[in-house]
Amino acid sequence: MTHSTSSRSQASKSGVTRFRAPKAAALVLSFVLGASLLAGCSDSAEPKAGSQESAAKVNKEGFPIVKEKVTLRMMGPDVGVQKWANMPAFQEMEKKSGISFQFDNPPLESFETKKNLTFASGEYPDIFYASSLTQADEVNYGSQGILLPLEGLIDNYAPNLKKILDENPEIRKSITTPDGHIYSLPVINQQSIWYRSPMWYNGEFLDALKIDHNKLPKTTEELYDLLVRFRDEDPNGNGKKDEIPLVSVKLDDIRSWLLGAWGIYGEDIYNDANGKVHFARTEDGYREFLTYMNRLWKENLLDHETFSQTPEQKKAKGANNQVGLFQDWHAYFTHGGEPTTNDPMFVPVKSDSVDKPAVAIHPGLSTGSFAITESNPAPEASIRWVDYMYSYEGAMLFDKGPEGLMYKTVNAEDHTKKWLPLPDKFNSREDYRGTLTPNYGTPAPTLLSPDLQKGLKEEFDVWVDKQNEEKILAYDPQPPFPILYLTPEEQAEISSLRSDMDTYVQQMEAKFVTGQEPLSGWDNYLATVKQMGSDRMIEIYQTAYDRWKSS
Amino acid sequence: MPKPMADTVKIDGVSNSSARSSRHSLRKRISRNWELYLLIAPAFLYFLIFHYGPMYGIQIAFKNFMPARGITESPWVGFDHFIRFFNSYYFWDLIRNTLTISLYQLIVGFPLPILLALAFNEIKNGWFKRTVQTVTYAPHFISVVVMAGIIVTFLSPSTGIIINIIEWLGFTAPNFLTDPAWFKTMYVLSGVWQSTGWGTIIYLAALSAVDPQLHEAAIMDGASRWRRIIHINIPTIIPTITILLILNVGSILGVGFEKILLLQNPLNMSSSDVIDTFVYRTGLLNVQYSFSTAVGLFNSVINAILLIAVNQIARKTSENSLW
Amino acid sequence: MAAVIKESKADRIFLLFTYLFLAIALLCVLYPLVYIVSASISSPTYVNSGEMWLLPKGITFEGYQRVFENQAIWRGYANTILYTVVGTLVNLLVTIPAAYALSRSDFVGRGFFMGMFLVTMFFGGGLIPTYLLVKELGLINSMWALILPGAASVWNIIVARTFFQSTLPKELQEAAHIDGCTNLRLFWKIVIPLSSPIIAVMALFYGVGHWNSYFNALVYLNDEAKYPLQMVLRQILVLQEMNSSGIGTATSGETAMAMNARADVAALLKYAVIIISTLPIIAIYPFLQRYFVQGVMIGSVKG
Repeated sequence: MTHSTSSRSQASKSGVTRFRAPKAAALVLSFVLGASLLAGCSDSAEPKAGSQESAAKVNKEGFPIVKEKVTLRMMGPDVGVQKWANMPAFQEMEKKSGISFQFDNPPLESFETKKNLTFASGEYPDIFYASSLTQADEVNYGSQGILLPLEGLIDNYAPNLKKILDENPEIRKSITTPDGHIYSLPVINQQSIWYRSPMWYNGEFLDALKIDHNKLPKTTEELYDLLVRFRDEDPNGNGKKDEIPLVSVKLDDIRSWLLGAWGIYGEDIYNDANGKVHFARTEDGYREFLTYMNRLWKENLLDHETFSQTPEQKKAKGANNQVGLFQDWHAYFTHGGEPTTNDPMFVPVKSDSVDKPAVAIHPGLSTGSFAITESNPAPEASIRWVDYMYSYEGAMLFDKGPEGLMYKTVNAEDHTKKWLPLPDKFNSREDYRGTLTPNYGTPAPTLLSPDLQKGLKEEFDVWVDKQNEEKILAYDPQPPFPILYLTPEEQAEISSLRSDMDTYVQQMEAKFVTGQEPLSGWDNYLATVKQMGSDRMIEIYQTAYDRWKSS
Repeated sequence: MPKPMADTVKIDGVSNSSARSSRHSLRKRISRNWELYLLIAPAFLYFLIFHYGPMYGIQIAFKNFMPARGITESPWVGFDHFIRFFNSYYFWDLIRNTLTISLYQLIVGFPLPILLALAFNEIKNGWFKRTVQTVTYAPHFISVVVMAGIIVTFLSPSTGIIINIIEWLGFTAPNFLTDPAWFKTMYVLSGVWQSTGWGTIIYLAALSAVDPQLHEAAIMDGASRWRRIIHINIPTIIPTITILLILNVGSILGVGFEKILLLQNPLNMSSSDVIDTFVYRTGLLNVQYSFSTAVGLFNSVINAILLIAVNQIARKTSENSLW
Repeated sequence: MAAVIKESKADRIFLLFTYLFLAIALLCVLYPLVYIVSASISSPTYVNSGEMWLLPKGITFEGYQRVFENQAIWRGYANTILYTVVGTLVNLLVTIPAAYALSRSDFVGRGFFMGMFLVTMFFGGGLIPTYLLVKELGLINSMWALILPGAASVWNIIVARTFFQSTLPKELQEAAHIDGCTNLRLFWKIVIPLSSPIIAVMALFYGVGHWNSYFNALVYLNDEAKYPLQMVLRQILVLQEMNSSGIGTATSGETAMAMNARADVAALLKYAVIIISTLPIIAIYPFLQRYFVQGVMIGSVKG
């Protein structure tokens, strides 16, 4: 396109002339302020090393990783518990590998801002760790050479990761960008099951109504009947009609669980078994979901503060023993008190229009957690360093800290462990864990296998696992949509299509559910969403899905 | 008010001798007041370096900004981002909501600090005055998150204290939090609550310039407190009022997004969505620097036009204006 | 005194209404403030369920305890005080002289300067170019990165200029010139002493701005030891609130449990943090108030 090239050259020209002004101004300023102010602030840039040269300095197997000690610059989010340099996990790893780090840790909440400024400023860290790079970051900075392609390095220097990728081709597909390169390493979580935190029944309510915890509603009508009983029969026994049968915050918490009753796997984009991509909000099943929710609303079964309350207010209602069915990570977070096995997990319900409910499961993968930049003098050593995190020993070191602090191995063969007593100054094991390792509340590159928890599970955890077996895994769940990359062009088009559509869809959902908009308005709604480009959006995702599938 | 630009233009048009004398007087005025340039120099340098220096960044509104390529190397897209904004399904809703919230805020929120400051000025210094002044000033420091939390708690249909009071009085309380008709009132009044005391500060300072002799003379003439407020106090602070009004009009499209975002829900959205929340949401989807900058630029242009217009009106009708 | 004798009945009623108006204003504002103080020492469950509506319920000091447990908070206080004092001084040194110059009708070029300043109220380069400039100047990770990029605000300059214009009589300057007093002397010896109200207001506006600011610190500082109070407090808060955003990445029931336990404290902390961070600046206000009642001097100069 001649047009764009000419405008680009124009851009650089004007950029040059405009950029002269601030430089001159900077000179004036430094003159005015005096040099003292500017001293001692300049950063030192490390020299870049050629690839062959750096490869020669690395051992291909075993520890230490490097023949001479190396220091690299690492950027990662700080959750404010402990400085990374003081964490035993890093110290232990430095001893083993010979690689030490100079850390740059902006606070977690502002990490995104800092990360963008870092890219914009042209001065990159050598390694991004637990950095949640977005897919757009990877695609853009990867294609511009700022992030190094990792697939070659993985083949030669990362045996653990290579094994995982060879055994799980869908993981390789999901971390490979459309240009065929891998620019970031993922968190692989084999422990995670919940796509969203599950829904739970208030066990006290069930007991008061003499309902067997093993005979929970299996259809939408049975669920409706139960909610009516929650409403009318004073299950909390305080003599007041203050029960809220179903509680929610803006429906975001419960939507995806209930949509399954009409065969819909996700609340947004999902694919069916035939590889066809759907947009949940234009499906017939979604209309039936809205009709059902509107019925719950009209009959006071769905909390009338659903669209205005904060999560804290919802929790307060739970602690007050007012709610019958709710969503949270564990039931007692909302219901209050100690962990209990008396609040059973919601059983997926189905409507008449499907044979079995659709149940979503977590894909067990998130991308963008580790990347190497072009300024890294030792990419081979870096990839060997991170590869350790994908072995049982390395994952353990960065999940629970070095052995002998939190846990002790009981049986080295089958990886059984036991907890050690908690030092007095910590309230919980997690508080302690936060001081040992950076993999605490951050998406860090690692393989979280079930083995890590072996011997460390409490009775309650075992009960939760059993609930998962019965109520999620038994329903043949699937991830709503695979993790995949869009090209920059697709990304841009989707962003621009969605900016209005998301708002509209969200607004109309609330109106349909509360009855401000009658369901007779569905056709109009559908027409408007289509006009906003929903078909085009599905098409783009379909293309991306097909590309992912065939790669 | 002498306007230097006008002076220099005039020079070419008038006869030689008078031109010489006016040039002479101009030079004389400049040289006589050379120290004033010294006084303004730090501010001049500051704005030159820290505001004009980075101003080349505006071009990203017309480009597709890619951080790694840098501002100057990113490709041009012309007015694409502006067109996308204008074509948004919600464009007119956004403009309408932004303007009505701003005007509502201006009409309710602008006079109150003036009234409060005048009232403070009437009573004598003592613990009562100090207490009221300090207490009304304090809410300014409550963070937006906590403020929004308090609003939601107080207005919660099931437990909110304000709802309880209204129902105790025998009325049915509307659902302030989700009813679009109440959103703007809720937003503006909570803002007034938070900022009125803070807003008095500038007027109190202006009132301190009132000449006490004027009051003494007026008292001698038997003028009541009311008349003295009207004829002495208010005229003293009129310049400040005028200037603040002009500045406020000049920021009419900038309704802060944080508080709105926290009070927004799908049910009141039709009344609560403003330009800034729209930009924030769009930016969230993908880091869209260019789009945000374009919308920001649009806001600025409209604001600047409004400011110029209001300033012209002020110039024509009073002695107080920005220039 | 004459004034007391002449206080008419109408005036007394008027005054009564003034007091009444102020008393109502006091009550309206006081209630939510008391609420915040009570909330900061009440059990979060009562606060969220609306049961705590005036006096603290289920008293706990855990919120304060958690904040003060964090050693960084004292360093944060010290940093903030330093940044506020130095920053405000720089602000005043830039703002007050500029405002005075702009207030002089015989200042050739004031239209140009005014225009130049006003443009920046509307148009700016945005975060990235400013960041690059600060970096180029070598200010990253230094106190000056928090101070210089905000050395003056157009809004404040205009407000101060208006004050000078409307309070300083023209005769003053003419008299000074006739006496052979230079502009600098006039500014330093006469204008400054006469303008304590506006200087106090400007110091307050800028000071509060520095006290509350965190964004520049977030962008320009890398070294935690240099974080101002607001950054430290945000860090504490975020840690507690990881629950909401972090639970998606919670890898085990354990993590989720710990985060949940923290979320309860977060509610408490929110209120405690407000009180800890604002008490000092609220306490300053009554001292500044006395500068607002010094109108006497201008009258005496005139007379």
